[in-house]
Amino acid sequence: MQGIQSINIAVNSEEREDMSNYHDMEMRVVYARTLKELIERDPAVYCLEADLGKADASIPEISKHHPGNFINCGVQEANMIGVGAGLAKEGKIPFCATFTAFATRRCYDQITISVAYANNNVKIVGNSPGITQGPNGGTHMCFQDLSIMRAMPNMHVYSPADANELRSVMFHMAASKQPTYMQLVRLKMPKLFEEGAPFDPNQAKRLHEGKDVTLVATGFMTRFALDVARLLAKEGVTVDLLHYPSVKPFDAKTLIESAQKTGTVVTVENQNIIGGLGSAVCEVLSERHPVRVKRLGIPDQFGEVADPDYLFNKHGFGLEHIAQACRELSRSKSKKL
Amino acid sequence: MTREQLDSLAAEFRYVVTDAICRSGVGHIGGVMSLVEIVVTLYFRIMKVKPENPDWPDRDRLVLSKGHAGPIVYTALAYKGYFPKAWLTTINQNGTRLPSHMDQILTPGVEITAGSLGQGLSCACGMALAAKHDGKKHRVFCIIGDGESDEGQIWEAALFAAHHRLDNLIVICDYNKMQIDGRTEEIMNLEPLVDKWRAFGWETFEINGHDWDAIHNTIRKADAVTGRPAMIVAHTIKGKGNRETEGLVDCHNVKIPDETTYQRIMCGLECKYDLPY
Repeated sequence: MQGIQSINIAVNSEEREDMSNYHDMEMRVVYARTLKELIERDPAVYCLEADLGKADASIPEISKHHPGNFINCGVQEANMIGVGAGLAKEGKIPFCATFTAFATRRCYDQITISVAYANNNVKIVGNSPGITQGPNGGTHMCFQDLSIMRAMPNMHVYSPADANELRSVMFHMAASKQPTYMQLVRLKMPKLFEEGAPFDPNQAKRLHEGKDVTLVATGFMTRFALDVARLLAKEGVTVDLLHYPSVKPFDAKTLIESAQKTGTVVTVENQNIIGGLGSAVCEVLSERHPVRVKRLGIPDQFGEVADPDYLFNKHGFGLEHIAQACRELSRSKSKKL
Repeated sequence: MTREQLDSLAAEFRYVVTDAICRSGVGHIGGVMSLVEIVVTLYFRIMKVKPENPDWPDRDRLVLSKGHAGPIVYTALAYKGYFPKAWLTTINQNGTRLPSHMDQILTPGVEITAGSLGQGLSCACGMALAAKHDGKKHRVFCIIGDGESDEGQIWEAALFAAHHRLDNLIVICDYNKMQIDGRTEEIMNLEPLVDKWRAFGWETFEINGHDWDAIHNTIRKADAVTGRPAMIVAHTIKGKGNRETEGLVDCHNVKIPDETTYQRIMCGLECKYDLPY
């Protein structure tokens, strides 16, 4: 994989008349509509739910139009993963969705053995990652899914940032035979990519060109990182913003090239700073190009019932925190490590 | 096959699988020996398979959810011709394709990786559901353990299979009434086990899991059930067929550290056979 993909950043979000204006929809609706489209292209694609079909919008989108490809397992996440593995063994392509906490940490051993270790082609979808679980609070607010899924051999881990990228990622998942975990932001997300934007798990996407500091983001946080890059440009601090739709595999080459140019790196993620995107960045840089890194995210704490702004401020990874970290590191990068 | 031929094959399997396990110095002899008649019946009297084409789409499937009994299935697969019998000497050796617990990637004829208990039955449900959706006529057999039945996932799958009316799924519970730490009635009582499965919506059968006719006839009856999955609770004896292990609580995972122990265990078997490798 050479170089960085040419990405068209949307300059506005003008409404279109046709149904493909996915950015006017919640991401979960885009998920369900895309899955419906995938089923219509390939009847081997299945939608599995664990009594959260309404939250994932597959009810009624798929349950109504393709009831034969819709399997509601009830509140049985572990069994859903096993049923998915059995379907995959028979050539089906199951997308198993539930909230991130239940999609990963609750059935981690089932995913490990029945999916990853056995290399069964199961797609696991974690709805409402990190702080986006707001009203459900600490029991549902999973900050370690990127970390624990990344630590699983044979597992790809994706976190798309907008509706068009979500669609590209899902088309890739349906076409590949790779066991995969994908974070699904349930909310409506602002447009970052054009429809049909390419997705390659081995390639990061540069969303803003800069030379003063590298900013690395994924999933829900990328939109905020882009706002920071645009804000700091007005201050004369240029940010090299790298978006990683795939946290595993991880595009080390693009990161190293950027770090060589800027000399310092800030990471931001909607996760515990232990084990996720920031850790992936540190693993690469510490071994191949040591520079100063600042990780922003949840500082090893559990969640709570709260809105995003409250949690951004409490844990220090909102817009202003990201901007301040970028300013500080760009100023201090000449200092030795 | 005549009863004499079946008895002879079972005795030979017990001799060969015990030797094969002993070569690695340790193994799950107890739960392997309790399954001999059931596995022989499935592979030599019931299941439609093509060893020369392990992925034949219309084959019957067997999922060994109690994956630690892998060596008895390996023995059956070797005798059916899926791979050379000499492979049996590699069980649990470095670089083997026959690990103690079932591995669908490593071993020809193994359908589903299993070993972390409770998971195989869910996979079998997925396979049975796929067959129904595709209008396939093949059957999915699944063997679970009694100790394994402590796992909540077994009962999740029990609900699921009944809800989806998976009448192409036939499950056999190897009810040898022992688990690692002791007797099931002492560690985690399962009774009334048959009633539980019936209450979950399954057609239930109860047999002596070492009785050739009972196993064969009951599987055929279970195969004829429509509209619901079938559970055959097979009363078995852990470590069956070796006086060094039969009925002993501590025969789950037997250590064979030296030649003396090996000779003692091999002499505990009913008959001696020439090893096929």
